[in-house]
Amino acid sequence: MKKILINRDFILFSIILIGLIGVGFANPLFITPKSISDVLTDTSILIILALSQMIVILIRAIDLSVASNLALSGMLISLLSTVHPELPVYYFIALSCLIGTFLGVLNGISIAILKVPFIVTTLGTLSIYRGLIYFVSDGKQVYSNEFSEDFLALIHVKFLSLSFLFWLAVAVFIVIYILLNHTRFGRNLYSLGGNPDAAKYIGINENKYIIMAYSLSGFFAGLCGYLWVARYSVASTQIAIGFELTVISACVVGGISVMGGVGTVLGCVLGALLIGLIRNALPAVDISQFWQLAISGAIILLAIIINTKTEQRKEKTIMVEN
Amino acid sequence: MKLELKNISKNFHGVKALQDVDFQLKENSIHALLGENGAGKSTLVKILCGVYQPDSGSILLNNKQQSISDPSISLSLGISAIHQESVMFDELTVTENVFIGNHLTKSNGLVDWSSMQDKTHQLLKELEANIEPNEKIKDLSIAQRHIVQISRSLIHDADIVIMDEPTASLSQKEINELYAIIRNLKNQNKSIVFISHKLDEVMEVCDEFTVLRDGELIKSDLISNTNKDQLITHMAGREVNQIFPKNNVTIENEIFEVCNLFKKTQFKNINFNLRKKEILGFYGLVGSGRTEIMKSIFGITKLDEGEILFNDQKISITKPSDAIDQGIVYLSEERQQLGMTGLMSVKDNINMAIMDRNSNFYVMNTLKEIKNASAMQEKLNIKVSYWSQLTQSLSGGNQQKTVIAKWLSTKPKVLILDEPTKGIDVRSKSAVHEFMGELVEEGMSIMMISSELPEILGMCDRVVVMYKGLIRDILDVKKASSEQIVKLASGES
Repeated sequence: MKKILINRDFILFSIILIGLIGVGFANPLFITPKSISDVLTDTSILIILALSQMIVILIRAIDLSVASNLALSGMLISLLSTVHPELPVYYFIALSCLIGTFLGVLNGISIAILKVPFIVTTLGTLSIYRGLIYFVSDGKQVYSNEFSEDFLALIHVKFLSLSFLFWLAVAVFIVIYILLNHTRFGRNLYSLGGNPDAAKYIGINENKYIIMAYSLSGFFAGLCGYLWVARYSVASTQIAIGFELTVISACVVGGISVMGGVGTVLGCVLGALLIGLIRNALPAVDISQFWQLAISGAIILLAIIINTKTEQRKEKTIMVEN
Repeated sequence: MKLELKNISKNFHGVKALQDVDFQLKENSIHALLGENGAGKSTLVKILCGVYQPDSGSILLNNKQQSISDPSISLSLGISAIHQESVMFDELTVTENVFIGNHLTKSNGLVDWSSMQDKTHQLLKELEANIEPNEKIKDLSIAQRHIVQISRSLIHDADIVIMDEPTASLSQKEINELYAIIRNLKNQNKSIVFISHKLDEVMEVCDEFTVLRDGELIKSDLISNTNKDQLITHMAGREVNQIFPKNNVTIENEIFEVCNLFKKTQFKNINFNLRKKEILGFYGLVGSGRTEIMKSIFGITKLDEGEILFNDQKISITKPSDAIDQGIVYLSEERQQLGMTGLMSVKDNINMAIMDRNSNFYVMNTLKEIKNASAMQEKLNIKVSYWSQLTQSLSGGNQQKTVIAKWLSTKPKVLILDEPTKGIDVRSKSAVHEFMGELVEEGMSIMMISSELPEILGMCDRVVVMYKGLIRDILDVKKASSEQIVKLASGES
């Protein structure tokens, strides 16, 4: 029992629950099934990106280029759909994932092979990928009426009155959960992040894992590229700008250590949900728009402080008895 | 012959670590690999593990030539090492650490947690270890970690197990348990390479030995054909007093004293004094609390209780600058991380601790800085090509001299040296020793932590022997025998 109480995921879950109840008191409309389902839908993309960012953070790296990657993949398929509206939607999704993966692989190669530090690489590609959107789109937007019906329809499919986006996030959660906990690849990511030197001694090829991690991050950024343009029915140079920071916050709040090797898939999802909740709840309880950004930042910081307090490492003991 | 190394050579940036070394390991034999620090043992082990590639020479396993170009090849050839430094994954469970890099999988390709769990449980039971497979490594003791590493070798079905100082931080009871496990491994037809600085244990456990010195093979034979004294002569190759030119100085009055220092879980009842012109040694196993005491005296960590007296005056040190102002400085054993800034020049490193004295109204006086740096460079004979040379481009010995110069610039009265000659070559080592002699002649007092007994015996006047956070005894070096010190330090009474 004691173990459960100090479990980070449990603490996070409690914070979310308490927050939800608190908001419910202030505004009962917020906790209706419809409203909660909307929050879940709204948070789905964040969940997917946080899960893929987690893979990268686990190996002591960070991918700052995800939002730019998302926007560029999204723009490219949007432009294609205006020219070839007859193509089936699955074609666009696959293509978006493919573009995203390619952009992710470029990050991985730069870091693993060219040895450019990850922060520099992804800071660079953050600008490059964003800049390329201007180049391919001439700075213009793709509006909702320019997409084919098919392109936008999938996103509005519902199952058990929950959205396609939500179910997709659930699927990604399951896939990544299995990947990180039940495959050799996933376990090796944990060891590589936990102790890179030791990982070398057991024969883990660091470069391979860096490239794989960034490819996965790119793949999901590409997937979210489609999801984002389809959901908001618009592709522009500005979409998801700055979203990488929200994604990283979700991971950190979820207890994914930026020191590598520590963090659970469930924690990551809970982190994303907490941030999603804050973003949706603040307007619902009538907090002035001017305050929202600062308050959400403060809440994130608070969650992290609580998290790290429970996690503080013991000093190594020298004496036999005290 | 199980394993044969022939004419192995390895150079690092022109420094030879190994030269034409032969090494032969028989089947079910425990083979001691001996040598002083820096003799080339670790390099040899890393070559066997595939971490380093030899420049020349060949490796024969079961009489077949092999090239170990990667750690994973070493593992697949049945070579497994229990390293001194941490090669464990603190945040992962015992089970996972045992199977790391070699997870069992089910037919569908997913990791098979339950059978890994069962196997680990069974294995730990066989080793009679009281460890739960679900525990995280960070919650285990050092002895338990060793057992997990041994389990890892067994799971990998290793024929050759390399153990690098496995008993270094263990209690006598734990050591005996480890011996039992090692003998058990031998009975299972495995060959063991055993690295240790404790010659008594080598004589007790091992069947054969190989001695390296300065990267060369000195002697390889059966343990039954030798004795401890011979081994020491092989390893040192010179008389102990020859390498430590301790000058005769008259020790004066007491200047520094600590009373009842206590820090929770770290150390307690720490009482000792230091006299002017004295070198006081601190000997003990790695992790016996020596560094932790010095860090508290220097104000890096806080003491829970205790008093520090300087010239019979009680002083309060809450941060390093307090200690520096009093004239107490601490040279860390982690030279690269805590002693210097590699990307700054030698001159800047030397002046780092006295920026206030080298400035007028917060503006640096470059002339003063250059004056101090060149005085120090001359005094310590630091080999630099030009003043703006980056410190990281110097050899280990010259880096250490730079760090010493940094602290001497503050004109200290008490110098605390933590493993001052760790990882530097023989010549720089004796230069550092010589210099220590000069400093005490000039009136300084030195406290030196060292894990090398010859260094303690050669340089110090008295030695504080520590074991698990307690002072076992303070001995006059002239009257103490090395056996006595080693015994005290390993917790035997």
